[in-house]
Amino acid sequence: MTTSALAIEVDGLCKYYGAHQVLHGVNLTVKPGEKIVVCGPSGSGKSTLIRCLNKLEEHQQGRIRVLGTELNDEIDNINEIRREVGMVFQHFNLFPHLTVLENCVLAPMLVRKIDRKTAEEQAMTYLERVKIPQKAKNYPGELSGGQQQRVAIARALCMKPEIMLFDEPTSALDPEMISEVLDVMIQLAQGGMTMVCVTHEMGFARKVADRVIFMDQGKIVEDAPPADFFDNPQHERSKLFLSQILGH
Amino acid sequence: MTATTEIQAPALNDSLLDSVRRDYFSSVGRTILTLVCLALILSALWFLVNWGLVNAVWFGTPEDCHKAAGACWAVITDRYRLIFFGLYPYEEQWRSALACLAILATVILSCVPFFWSAKRLPVLWALGYGLFYFLMKGGVFGMPVVLETQWGGLALTVFVFSSTVVIGMPLAIVLALLRRSRLPVVSTVTALFIDGIRSLPLLSILFTAAIILPLTLPGFLVGDKLYRVIIGAAVFFAVYQAEIIRSGIQSLPAGQEEAATALGLNYWQTISRIVLPQAFRFALPPTINQVVIAFMETALIVILGFFEITASGNAAFSTGGWKPFHTEVYSFVALIYFVFTYSLSMYGSYLERSMKLGLR
Ligand SMILES: Nc1ncnc2c1ncn2[C@@H]1O[C@H](COP(=O)(O)OP(=O)(O)OP(=O)(O)O)[C@@H](O)[C@H]1O
Ligand SMILES: [Mg+2]
Repeated sequence: MTTSALAIEVDGLCKYYGAHQVLHGVNLTVKPGEKIVVCGPSGSGKSTLIRCLNKLEEHQQGRIRVLGTELNDEIDNINEIRREVGMVFQHFNLFPHLTVLENCVLAPMLVRKIDRKTAEEQAMTYLERVKIPQKAKNYPGELSGGQQQRVAIARALCMKPEIMLFDEPTSALDPEMISEVLDVMIQLAQGGMTMVCVTHEMGFARKVADRVIFMDQGKIVEDAPPADFFDNPQHERSKLFLSQILGH
Repeated sequence: MTATTEIQAPALNDSLLDSVRRDYFSSVGRTILTLVCLALILSALWFLVNWGLVNAVWFGTPEDCHKAAGACWAVITDRYRLIFFGLYPYEEQWRSALACLAILATVILSCVPFFWSAKRLPVLWALGYGLFYFLMKGGVFGMPVVLETQWGGLALTVFVFSSTVVIGMPLAIVLALLRRSRLPVVSTVTALFIDGIRSLPLLSILFTAAIILPLTLPGFLVGDKLYRVIIGAAVFFAVYQAEIIRSGIQSLPAGQEEAATALGLNYWQTISRIVLPQAFRFALPPTINQVVIAFMETALIVILGFFEITASGNAAFSTGGWKPFHTEVYSFVALIYFVFTYSLSMYGSYLERSMKLGLR
């Protein structure tokens, strides 16, 4: 791995679904330790962008470098990047046939080749960090949504990733559970993790984001520190979006 | 609290007698129907007990049976070795019995979750089948050689059935995975193969394997007819089971494969740890069904000249004056089938119950 000062570099990224172009030349850089919040209207390509970062989606044009490794067709590069990049999904996607603890030790044992004992100890420390160690032996189906999402975060952390991606982690949750997940994410941000979060939780963005990125129709329209973005948005579309989600 | 107990109270007082009266004797029509059915059931039971137990002859000759009014179980006690072992040489039949036990033990152990791993299951099967083969065939440790053509009875039925499943199940998994390949050529060819075989009757496949293949294959590939027929049955089982597995995979919650990929698991790890364990849970009822059907269909190999249990049953009463007592022999064979299929279904519903725990 060549060392690089940047955690993520995206350069002229274009993504098509068939003939339909979803990303139009996106440029983005993320420094190590930076926290980026991505927002924008539905269908603007936020999920597509972050899913390209660990190659859950394939891009057609442009370059993506993660931790100095080029994300191309080389399977070694892809595997290396996926090891170092954790992802948390809107619908948690825990493995329902495995207990919470098994969910957490599976990838470290298979991918990092850690022995079970070490992996379990490590999983318990992360489960404690997300405040759910008492559910280690339960199955995901026995947990509330907020608890499942916290387990999903712990599961990703067990791989000791350098970067964490979040795709609307709280939007499938009942309102009273949102804060328990956001608390975990804030704590993670304060620990210095590099984070890219697609979210519409503007309180979270104000509190932890270094930059807010506003996307519309497959392009980055605005890229600014949260104070500037919320108090003094530059573009019509950002203003409209902010008035819609903060307005009423 | 008092309110709920008052509401529940009538239900608790409802005794068995009350519910029987309500369900079966609440009107004249119902009462008549109930009594008629009861009479029919009782007379059938009366006949069966008299025929099968009270008046039955358990040991003896055909002449003893002719004198008695009941069932002639003497044909079973006299000819059971023929039914169980077919034409296997009489002095060597202990080998066939042990071999049968080896296969049964392998099948039963395969049902224990401890063995469900890609390392343990093949070792178990290799041991079980190796033991079966050496016991049946002989030629080692001073056991005389017994050719496949002399194998028969229950040992043959159990061997054909379990080999069909043991070969067919991995084949089904491979076919199901190939059918959902992202390469269009691979998925189309697999789909054609699956649909092609599914449109043929099993009998035609068995005939092809037994009679036509040897004419077209080079000599060293032909092997014994028994193994060709097993392969044919396994392929037939696999194409049906592949579709069952595929539908199981489709019932997986969205995002499971994605989550595994994002964690860095490779294709095989994702398939073996995330996709298949869940797919089999969803596909369990039809899978058990398919396995039971495979067991029943072993009887078809009779037509190709194999001496499996229905054929050896046939042979048991066709000589020595036992001819009139075919009902007893067929009842006995049916009982054996019932024991096998019923325990398979019981195992299936046990699995379903225990797996529900992990999938809520
Ligand atoms: N698998 C797909 N096939 C075809 N089009 C797709 C696919 N996934 C997404 N799209 C399209 O790509 C565009 C961007 O989708 P994307 O999911 O990235 O939006 P988003 O910003 O995450 O929206 P949301 O806030 O609703 O999650 C949309 O127009 C969508 O219809
Ligand atoms: Mg989205």
